[in-house]
Amino acid sequence: MADKPRILLVDDESAITDNLAPFLERSGFTVAVAADGEAALKQVAASAPELVIMDVMMPIVDGREALRRLRRSGNWIPVILLTQVGEAGERAMALEEGADDYLNKPFDPHELVARIRAVLRRARPGQPPLATASRIASGDLVLDRTSHRIWLSGVELTLTPKANALLEYLMTHPDELITRERLLDAVWGWEYPTGTRTVDTRIAELRRVLGDDPSEPRFIETVPGQGYRFVGSVEVAA
Amino acid sequence: MRRLAIWAAALIPVLVGVAASVALTLNLFPNPILYLRADLGTLSLLIGIAISTLLMLALAGWLWTEYRHRESLTQTTAQAAADRRRFLQRLDHELKNPITAIRAGLANISHNAASETLSSINAQVHRLSRLTADLRKLAELETRPLERSEVNMSSLLGQVFELAQERPEAEARHLTLTLPQAPWPLPTISGDHDLILLVVHNLLDNALKFTRPNDTIEVRAFEDGAAVAVEVADTGPGIPEEDLPHVWEELYRGQSARGVPGSGLGLALSQAIVQRHGGRLTVRSRAGQGTVFSMQLPVKG
Repeated sequence: MADKPRILLVDDESAITDNLAPFLERSGFTVAVAADGEAALKQVAASAPELVIMDVMMPIVDGREALRRLRRSGNWIPVILLTQVGEAGERAMALEEGADDYLNKPFDPHELVARIRAVLRRARPGQPPLATASRIASGDLVLDRTSHRIWLSGVELTLTPKANALLEYLMTHPDELITRERLLDAVWGWEYPTGTRTVDTRIAELRRVLGDDPSEPRFIETVPGQGYRFVGSVEVAA
Repeated sequence: MRRLAIWAAALIPVLVGVAASVALTLNLFPNPILYLRADLGTLSLLIGIAISTLLMLALAGWLWTEYRHRESLTQTTAQAAADRRRFLQRLDHELKNPITAIRAGLANISHNAASETLSSINAQVHRLSRLTADLRKLAELETRPLERSEVNMSSLLGQVFELAQERPEAEARHLTLTLPQAPWPLPTISGDHDLILLVVHNLLDNALKFTRPNDTIEVRAFEDGAAVAVEVADTGPGIPEEDLPHVWEELYRGQSARGVPGSGLGLALSQAIVQRHGGRLTVRSRAGQGTVFSMQLPVKG
C-alpha cells in the first residue's frame, strides 16, 4: 500500500479536517493536514504531495493567495478548492487562478473523493493542467477562457453565458463522466428543483451551436442515466 | 422637537405684532391713527383670500409631515429587509462549516454501520444543506447580474407544467395549463430563463403541496402588449388572512404550512427574482376557496 496517493488537506476549521481526513484515509489516500495557506505552502515545498485540497477562506494566507503563489512559482500540483461564499465570482476565480476543480461547501464527501480521483487521473506530472491554460482546443474547436469566446473551424460562435461556462467546465474536465448534479453545482452554483432539465436544455443548445450529433458525438457524449462526458481530446492552444 | 419648532414659528406673527405695538404705544416711532375704509364686496374678497391662504398653508404643512412620515416608514421597512438579508447571509456562513464537518463525520460512521438512526440523521443533514443552498441563492440574487436572453414563455410554462405532471400528487388533482393562441401566442420576454422557470416551478410546487386530492390547479397566462401575466390558481384550503401579508418573508411558515415540507424560502426567492426582472408577484386568497398567485413580467426587461 505504499503507492497510496498523498494528499494535503488545508482548512482552518479543525472540525472539518478531523472528520474529513479519516474519511479520505479510508477512501484510499494518505492525508496530511495544514491549517492555513502559509503552512500549506511550506508542506508542499517540504513533502511534495500529489494533490492539495484547500479551503478558500483561511487566516494568514487564504486559499486563493496560496494557489496564486503556487502557480506563479511554476508549481502545477493539482489543487481542489473548497469555496464557501459560493458566489458565481468565486467559482470563476477558482478556474482563473488555476484550480483543477472546486466544490461548494457543504459538499458530499463522496463527491470530493470522486473529484480527487478524476483530478489525479487527469494530472500530467510537471506539466501545467488544462485548468491553468487561458486557451484550450479540441480539434478545430477553440475556447478562449479569458475573453469567453469560442471558434469552430475559425468561425466565431455565439453562446449564452451559461452554455459557455458549461462548455468550459466540460472541456477542462475531458474524458470524465460528470453527473448533471455535479454540473449544476459547478456551473450554476445552485441546486435547482428543475435541475436535470436545466442542464439538458443547455447541453442541447451547445450541441446545436457546435453541430454535434448526440448519436455520434465529436464533443459531448450522453452517458444514459448518469450524465455527460466530453469525448474530444483537449489540448492547450497557442 | 420639530413639532415644537413649527408651533413656535406659528407664533412669530403675534410676537412681531406685540413688539410693534409696544414700540408704537411707547412713541418710539410716530403712531398715527389710520382709518381703513372698504366696500363690503372688496372686504369679503380680502377675507376670502386670507382664509384660503391660511387653509392652504395649514394643508401644505400637514401634507409635508405626512410625506416625511411615510418616507421614514419606507426607509425603516427597507432597512429591516436589508438587515434580515444580512442576518440570513451570516447564518448561512456560520452553518456551512459545521454541516461540512457533520457530513464528513457521517460518511466516516457509515463505513462501519448502517442503521435507521444514521439514515435519519443523514436525511436531516441533507435538509440543512438544502437550506444553506437556498440561503445562498437568496444572497446571490441580490448581487449577481441576470443572464438575460429572449425567453419563450409558452415553452417555459410547458416545461414546468410537464415536470409538475410527473409528480405523484398530480395524479389526484385536476391540472390544467391554458396558453393563449388567438390572436397570437405569448410574446417572448427578456429575462433569465432559469430563474423565471424557478419561480413558476415554486408556485406550482406550492399549489401541489397545499391542495388536497380532487382539487383543481390552473396555470394560465395572458399578455397585454406590455407585460406577460402568469397565474397559478388552486381550489385548496386558502391562506388565512392573518398569514397573507407575511408569506413573502424569509423562513416564514403560516399555520397551515406547518407539517408541509419546504425550506420556507421559496416565495421569498420567487419575489426577489420577479422584482429583479422589474415585475410584480402578488397573491389573493380566500379561506376555504383557494389561492391565486399572479406574476407579471414586463415584455421589455
